[in-house]
Amino acid sequence: MLRISGLSAGYSRIPVLNDLSVEVGEGQFVSIVGPNGAGKSTLFKTISGTVTPMAGSVTFEGRDLLSVAPDRRPHLGIAHVPEGRQVFASLSVMENLQMGAYTEAGRRDWKDNLDRILTWLPVLAERRNQPAGTLSGGEQQMVAIGRGLASSPKLLMLDEPSMGLAPAIADFIFDKLIEIRRQSKLTILLVEQRVAEALDSADHGYVLEAGRVVLEGNTRTLRADDRIRQAYLGM
Amino acid sequence: MTGIIWTENILQALAAGLLVGTIYGLMCVGLALIFGVMRVINFAQGDFMMLGMYAAFYIFGALGVSAVFGTSAGPYVAAILAGPVLFCIGYLTHKVLISHVSGTRTAHLEGEGHYAQLILTLGIALILTNGAMLFFGSFLYSLQTPLSTSAWELGPFWGDYVSVFVNKARGISAAISLGVIAVLAWMIGNSRIGRALRASADNPTAAIYMGVNVDKSHRIAFALGVAITAVAGGLLATNYPFHPYVGLEYVIVMYAGVVLGGMGSIIGAFWGGMTIGLVQQMSTLILPTQLQNTAIFVFFLLIVFFRPQGFFGRVVERT
Repeated sequence: MLRISGLSAGYSRIPVLNDLSVEVGEGQFVSIVGPNGAGKSTLFKTISGTVTPMAGSVTFEGRDLLSVAPDRRPHLGIAHVPEGRQVFASLSVMENLQMGAYTEAGRRDWKDNLDRILTWLPVLAERRNQPAGTLSGGEQQMVAIGRGLASSPKLLMLDEPSMGLAPAIADFIFDKLIEIRRQSKLTILLVEQRVAEALDSADHGYVLEAGRVVLEGNTRTLRADDRIRQAYLGM
Repeated sequence: MTGIIWTENILQALAAGLLVGTIYGLMCVGLALIFGVMRVINFAQGDFMMLGMYAAFYIFGALGVSAVFGTSAGPYVAAILAGPVLFCIGYLTHKVLISHVSGTRTAHLEGEGHYAQLILTLGIALILTNGAMLFFGSFLYSLQTPLSTSAWELGPFWGDYVSVFVNKARGISAAISLGVIAVLAWMIGNSRIGRALRASADNPTAAIYMGVNVDKSHRIAFALGVAITAVAGGLLATNYPFHPYVGLEYVIVMYAGVVLGGMGSIIGAFWGGMTIGLVQQMSTLILPTQLQNTAIFVFFLLIVFFRPQGFFGRVVERT
């Protein structure tokens, strides 16, 4: 579904990503893990178009994504739940979800999507008329995820959904993702610093270090890998 | 007896203030879209308003609006039609010029982007003023309607002594202003495009992730702001004569209104403009007319001193 090959990107000619190749198949849940500064967010921004790559290609469903304007990419079925949540602070929770449904598909499926989103994330129903900026971090993360789902995506990209959250709330978010994935059969691409949770939720994983893929494979194999166990899982 | 005269004068000034204030409110709402919401500093706003006045004048005279709608309703139809005309001018101005110094191109510059906006819009203002001088000359124009010189009488109250006269032209202008604001408030608050405008102002990067063409949103907001101020200009022209330099008189009042109301608040800008209209008219009770603009700024300073975020402004900066 999403194929990234030979991608190099960065800011002001300082490369952050170096000849990176990642593939996400339809229906897959893929996690990309790695330490801070490995280039995870830059990868997402390149897919969304807010960072322009220096080399390489990105295709989505066989289509060259780099030639599509950034604001048209969501309409192809790519939802980006950005790092730090980035909810529309002055808009109500419901309006944030409606903004998610700005895509053609999102508008078409609005009623069904809203029902499903509010069933998965009932706290959003309670807070529906509250400005999103007044919510707690965990609730804002749920708004951001709900907003992504409201676009009727084919691919849901999540950038560090656990960032800045208490461990219990982060666990709750991961559980929700697994539940949403099981019920919706959505293709998910997740980047995370919390390696254990990210690998537990996904079926395929990549380990990114200094802009390069250093390991990839089935998440069960990765979890058993000695290098991962020592460097990230503290075992 | 002096008590009665005073009561009448105060009520009269209040009525005039409310009417003028409503039109000023509309004018400020136009700027609020551009300055308060999109954070573009537009010095040419007064000159776009001046263009709106001339547009209304020529639509009234040349396009046969006066023949179809008559001399009473015609000027109002012309003032409203000045909106779409200035919308197009605003849209093009943004596309060709303003977009280079605003929106996503300067999103990473923080405050820096504003310097280029200052110079650019000041330049546009000069070109518009001098261009108008060249094309229209320095004569005073006005969009006269027979209604400018007639009034409705309210009252008499308290026996036969006190009655208030409401100028018909201003009364109708104020009613149209309220109508335009109601439509705009509904559009910004409830429509898909209005929501996209607010989202683009709130968090441009996230708006792109939603599939919003942020540059186009900014362009529409700019054009809409210009159009609304132009309609206010057309409405003011039914009561006040105008000339190519009239923009300067109003642009300062507009910024004062937007800041009074609170940055980023459309409704706040309306109340800011209303306050300025009221202060201006009420000040004539105790001050010579030449000082009415001074009164506005003394009041402005007091408000800024005691409530720097404006009437409707949020104390907390947006994140």
